[in-house]
Amino acid sequence: MALLELVDVAKSFGSLKAVDGVSFSVEAGEIFGIAGPNGSGKSTLFNVITGIPFGPDRGMIRFDGEEIGGLSGNRIARRGLARTFQRETSFDGLTVFENALMGLSFGATKMPAAQAHEATAEALTFVGIDFASFGRLAGELSVYQRKCLMLATAIAMKPRMLLLDEPASSLTKPEIEASVELIRRIAGRGITILLIEHVLTFLMSLSQHLLVLNQGSVLAMGAPRSVIEDPRVIEAYLGTRRAA
Amino acid sequence: MGGTADILFGGLFQGSLYAMMAVGLALVWTTIGVFNFSHGVFMMLGAYFAWQLVTWGLPPFLAFPLSVLAMAGMGWVLQASVVRPLIGRSNLVLVVVITTLAAGSLIENGALEVWGPRSKQIPPLVSGNVMLGSIGVSLHQIAIILVTPLALGALWLFLNRTRLGLALRAVAQNEDASRLVGLNVTMLYGLSFGIAAALAALAGIFLGGYRFMSPVMGVDPLLKALIVVVFGGISSISGPIYAAYLIGFFEAIASYYFGLYWTPALLFAALILTLMVKPEGLFTPNRSRGLA
Repeated sequence: MALLELVDVAKSFGSLKAVDGVSFSVEAGEIFGIAGPNGSGKSTLFNVITGIPFGPDRGMIRFDGEEIGGLSGNRIARRGLARTFQRETSFDGLTVFENALMGLSFGATKMPAAQAHEATAEALTFVGIDFASFGRLAGELSVYQRKCLMLATAIAMKPRMLLLDEPASSLTKPEIEASVELIRRIAGRGITILLIEHVLTFLMSLSQHLLVLNQGSVLAMGAPRSVIEDPRVIEAYLGTRRAA
Repeated sequence: MGGTADILFGGLFQGSLYAMMAVGLALVWTTIGVFNFSHGVFMMLGAYFAWQLVTWGLPPFLAFPLSVLAMAGMGWVLQASVVRPLIGRSNLVLVVVITTLAAGSLIENGALEVWGPRSKQIPPLVSGNVMLGSIGVSLHQIAIILVTPLALGALWLFLNRTRLGLALRAVAQNEDASRLVGLNVTMLYGLSFGIAAALAALAGIFLGGYRFMSPVMGVDPLLKALIVVVFGGISSISGPIYAAYLIGFFEAIASYYFGLYWTPALLFAALILTLMVKPEGLFTPNRSRGLA
C-alpha cells in the first residue's frame, strides 16, 4: 500500500492554478523525486500536503491510509510527516540543541526529558553537527549547517515520511555531494522521502521514481531515466537547460 | 541620605509595577505580533475580582491567586474571541488595536455596572510600615519589590527550562516552522495571552492594595507599559524589564529634583531622544522577534 497518495489535488490563487489535478503515490521506503521549472507548483504542492500554510482546494491526500487533506499542519506533522523548507528555516534565536529538541518534544513521539536529550544529541550527530556546536545559536551557522540542522530537527520527530524542498539550493558542489550521502543515510533509517530539487543530477542520483510538474500539472512520471528522455519533458524543462 | 533612599525605594517600587505590566505586553507582541490594548483591563479586573473574593470572605492568600488564575482564563477567552479570528488577515496589527480597545472599553463599562463608581481597596499583601533609614515605607510596597523579581524569575524559568516555554519561544520566532514540528500555535497564542493577563492581574492586586481602585485604574499603567515596551524594545521580554526599572528610577530622580509636574515631560523628552538614537529600543537584541 502507498504511504502517501494524492488524487486530483488542486490549489488555485484567484485565476492562477498553482496545482491542477495532481495525482501520484509514494511507496513506503522509496525516494520519490519531483522536478519542474520555476513556478511549476512544486513548493505549493508541498504546502498543500503539509497543510502549512494552506491545504488543497479539492482532491484527496491520504497518508498511511488516512485522509489528511482537511487537517491542520501540526496534526499532519504529528502523524509522522515532516518537512524542510527551501530557505534555511530554523529558530534562529534558539540554540542548535533546542532546535532539534523541538522536533522531539512536539512531534509524533513523546518521551521523558533525559531520553529526549539523548535522542536529540543522536539526531544532531547523525547529520554531522558536532557537540561543540550544540550551544550555538542557529542563526550563527553556515547555510549548509543550517540545512543539516533542519534535517536533524525533522528526523528527531521520528517521521515516517520526510518532504525535502530543494535541499541542495545555495550549496557548493562538495556540500551537495555530502547532502546526497546524508539523504541516502536518512532513507536508510526507513524514512520515506519526497524530494523537490532543481539540480537534476541530485534528483537522478537519489530518486527511484521521478515526477515532472509543469504549470501545476503532472507532465511525466515514472523511472527517472525514462522521464528525462520524455520529449514533453525535454521541451518543457530539460530542453531549455540542454540548449543553455 | 533621605533623598537617596527615597529615590532608590521609589525607583524600585515604580519599576516593579511597570515591569509586571510591560512584560505581559511584550510577551503577546513577541509571540503573536500584536499589541493588546485591553491589557490594562486585566489589571483592573484582577484587582476587582480579588476585592470581590475577599469581600465574600475568602482569605487574601487564596483570593489573590484565584484572581490571577481567573484572569489567565479571561486572557485566553479574550484572545480566542477578538484576536484569533483575525489572525492571517491583512493589517492585523491595526485591526487588533481596534478590537482589543473595544473589548477593553466594554469590560471597563461592565465593571462600572457591576461594582459601581465608588473607589475600593483590597487588603495589602503584608500589613504595617517600617522605617528604612530616614523614610517610612509600607511592608506592602516592600513585598511588591520582592515578589516582582520572583514572578519574573518564574516566567524566565518557564520560558527557558520547560518544553512549553521552549515552544512559546519557538512560535515567537517562526510560526510555520513551529507548526511543522507539531506545535499547536493557536493554543500557544492563548497561553501567551493568558500569562500576560495573569501578570497584569498581579500588578492590579499590587496596586489595589496601595491605591484606591476604580474601573479605569488600568488606563494609566497601560500607557506607561507601552512607553516601557517601546523604550526597552518590543522584540524581547528582557528589554522591557530593564527599561521598566530604568524608567522607574528616572521618574524617582526627576520627581525628587524637578517635582511631579515636570516628570512626565522629562520622561517623554528622554524617550524621544532615545528613540532618535536607537529607534528599535534601548535593549533590542540583534535579531527580529524572540523571547529572551
